[in-house]
Amino acid sequence: MADDIRVKDGIDADTVAAAKALQSENYSAGFATDIETEYAPKGLNRDVIRFISEKKGEPAWMLEWRLKAYERWLTMEEPNWAMVEYEKIDYQDIYYYAAPKTGAKYESIDDVPKEILETYEKLGIPLREAEVLLGVEGSADTAADARGTTQPAGTRVAVDAVFDSVSVATTFRKELQKAGVIFMSISEALREHPELVRKYLGTVVPQSDNFFATLNSAVFSDGTFVYVPEGVRCPMELSTYFRMNAENTGQFERTLIIADKGAYVSYLEGCTAPMRDENQLHAAVVELVALEDAEIKYSTVQNWWPGDENGKGGIYNFVTKRGDCRGPRSKISWTQVETGSAVTWKYPSCILRGDDSVGEFYSIAVTNGRQMADTGTKMIHLGKNTRSRIISKGISAGRSDNTYRGLVSVHQKASKARNFTQCDSLLIGGDCGAHTVPYVENRCANAQLEHEATTTKLSEDQLFYARQRGLGEEQAVALLVNGFVRDVMQHLPMEFAVEAQKLLEVSLEGSVG
Amino acid sequence: MTIADASNPLSNPTIAEKKLFDRCRAMRATNSRTSAFGLFAETGLPHRRMEQWKWTDIRAALTNLETPSIDLAKQTVEVPEGACVLIFDGVAWKLPETLPEGVSAHRQSDATPLKTIEGLPLGQLTASMTGQDSSSDFVSIEISGKVDQPIFLDFASAPAETAFARLAFNILPDCSVRLIEAHSGNAAFSSTLIEFRLQSGASVDRTFVQRASTAQSVGITATAVLGEKASFVQTALGFGAKVCRVETHVRFEGAEAHAELNSAYLAGDDHHIDFTSHVTHAAPSCTTRQLTKGAVSKGGRGVFQGKFLVPRSIGQFTDADMQHQALLLEDGAEVFAKPELEIYADDVECAHGNTSGQLDEAALFYMRQRGIPAVEARALLTEAFIVEALQTAHEAVRDQMIDEARNFLRAEG
Repeated sequence: MADDIRVKDGIDADTVAAAKALQSENYSAGFATDIETEYAPKGLNRDVIRFISEKKGEPAWMLEWRLKAYERWLTMEEPNWAMVEYEKIDYQDIYYYAAPKTGAKYESIDDVPKEILETYEKLGIPLREAEVLLGVEGSADTAADARGTTQPAGTRVAVDAVFDSVSVATTFRKELQKAGVIFMSISEALREHPELVRKYLGTVVPQSDNFFATLNSAVFSDGTFVYVPEGVRCPMELSTYFRMNAENTGQFERTLIIADKGAYVSYLEGCTAPMRDENQLHAAVVELVALEDAEIKYSTVQNWWPGDENGKGGIYNFVTKRGDCRGPRSKISWTQVETGSAVTWKYPSCILRGDDSVGEFYSIAVTNGRQMADTGTKMIHLGKNTRSRIISKGISAGRSDNTYRGLVSVHQKASKARNFTQCDSLLIGGDCGAHTVPYVENRCANAQLEHEATTTKLSEDQLFYARQRGLGEEQAVALLVNGFVRDVMQHLPMEFAVEAQKLLEVSLEGSVG
Repeated sequence: MTIADASNPLSNPTIAEKKLFDRCRAMRATNSRTSAFGLFAETGLPHRRMEQWKWTDIRAALTNLETPSIDLAKQTVEVPEGACVLIFDGVAWKLPETLPEGVSAHRQSDATPLKTIEGLPLGQLTASMTGQDSSSDFVSIEISGKVDQPIFLDFASAPAETAFARLAFNILPDCSVRLIEAHSGNAAFSSTLIEFRLQSGASVDRTFVQRASTAQSVGITATAVLGEKASFVQTALGFGAKVCRVETHVRFEGAEAHAELNSAYLAGDDHHIDFTSHVTHAAPSCTTRQLTKGAVSKGGRGVFQGKFLVPRSIGQFTDADMQHQALLLEDGAEVFAKPELEIYADDVECAHGNTSGQLDEAALFYMRQRGIPAVEARALLTEAFIVEALQTAHEAVRDQMIDEARNFLRAEG
């Protein structure tokens, strides 16, 4: 975005500044770590899949599962319906596995490779926090302690750090174990709890779900596994920090979170990558399962390298995220702050299977430079009295394109289902694009579905209330729309979310619809 | 591609598609026919694997093409007094001996298809099947005055496998015309294409009613290109068919033009109705107002797909609003909607809203406590809900349209 860009009257100056601060030239996570790395042979074939599976010491059924996915993938075509354009990906020109040669869990800070420590330091996490992050015994208990700030108990964050294709550290495992919570990399889970992984893996996002999910099923390297047992409220926030480092390498992580009956867990993922001239592929799959009365809150701060202002380099972020509200009264909530990636193709979804289950999707997507984002959600209402809420804010600047694409589908038996959708878009300058593509399918007579796409179409009652308390119309709208979003964002676990904090300043005044 | 080349471009054509290919091959090939048919042949009959047709599968509905053996034509609206009536019998347009002042009509030979039908497979098919040397007429009409007398287009084809009708209107600067259309007829598959060219300051006011049986498939395609300060107002009432697609594409090419697209649909009992529209704001300071209301009962399916496209820089100061609201009257009804915005200009106002559900319980309760029986209260509220989209209809037929809507709702209630 040039400094002299002409901005439409009525657009909040802080918003313009906030968007500008997210331009690629300000990308602070774009350095590369020079560390000895072990690769799988370049390209994709059965042997590479066997290599990955062997590296991870997986059971035989897992290898078969991967190979089955691979056979399926060979028959599939890359989807082209999204409003994104990118050069054809050569799937044989990618490393599907890269790991630091010394990659392991560390007992002492002295054992942690200097390069990895420095990496986390540079990512804005001071060393003492990094000690926490890397799970070194005897270090400060929480990131907040390390910062010298005081936070109430319960705000501690346990972290799984994934560096290229492997998890290098997982913190607070012992303490979580005391509560019965299993929190580990999925590779470890495959060794330690194969029965749980086998029971749930692929039950939300089937192997053959879509091109990228099937690719992931074949080659996924690492990711996080969480199991919260019945009745347990996870004692701290869980988090995974994904870092892509190696050149010409794709990252294919797989996350599986299960909240058993009555359990609660809040999970945050953060991601960054070095500035490279090549495009790197990130094709992840996230599966959430919420059983009866369980709640999963999943937050993402996505800050992959977006490419430079001319569109050179950047991450292709093709991600399948889906939650299954399997039990009655369960709840899954997705919150995402999307600022990175050259191309984003991502629709975190909820299958509202259990009666009275609830799905939520809150999203702020900011695109700059030549970024293209096609993102949104799917809410599939199957159970009775299921409710969903979608709040999406898109901000486009530079020469970027930002698309909201969503599906709300109410099936015949989803009696009294309820959906509310609001999506607003804002264009900063005249060279970008903002698009809205909502699909709404209603097959149930007493369901109630509403979709709004302007700030002026707020609830008249709320507006009237705010105005009769003496607020001007604009102020009232700002309070009702932005106040709400701000509230959501403030509930994000903020340990690594510097970008999200900047976005709190964002206002949707002057939105185009 | 020649028509011969296009004879079998699809790997697995349906019987209906084969018949269409054979018929087109039998006509004299001209450049424009060949190109229109070639475009159609790229996809064949539109089907659900095409993004714009995912809810309206013409190919699946038209597995075969057979001449209906019984009279299928339905009541739509009666011809208002003093109207100039043009009747399409399924093959030819019957024109009155004298046309009103400011109206001239002539049969077209195989005119070059307008660019506006790009991306409209049914429009392309209709263009390739009409004109000289084909079995169907293509009539162009020029409007060179302010024509007060309504022009009534009666699409009343005789029983046949297909009926393809094509009209092109050219409205000269500052001239105006008001149209009333009855889309009924007896063809198993009817497809109508009307192209409007509105020069600066011109205005078109179009009202139409569509009604068909579940043995019929219907396409009503219209394109309108608007010059500076032109105005295009369209009001439609549709009851659906086995599948029915009403598709309207509007393109603003001059500044400060205005379009209004209002539709009401009522579908039940295996009727399917699809209102699809695409408005391109390719000129600054144009306005669009769009309201679609629907009520669907058991076995019916209502589809709404609206799109506003605002191209970069030329679309500045667009002001566009799209609303779709539907009632599902009972279980077994389906309503699918896709209100879409594609915006590349920053100083615009584009809004869209979409709701589907039941009647407002609070309003029902209020009416019942005032002594109105539940059934009647429901009918009154539904009627009021639907009628809002018919306010812009031609006054000569508006009440008839409201009556038709009321009759449908009473029968369903």
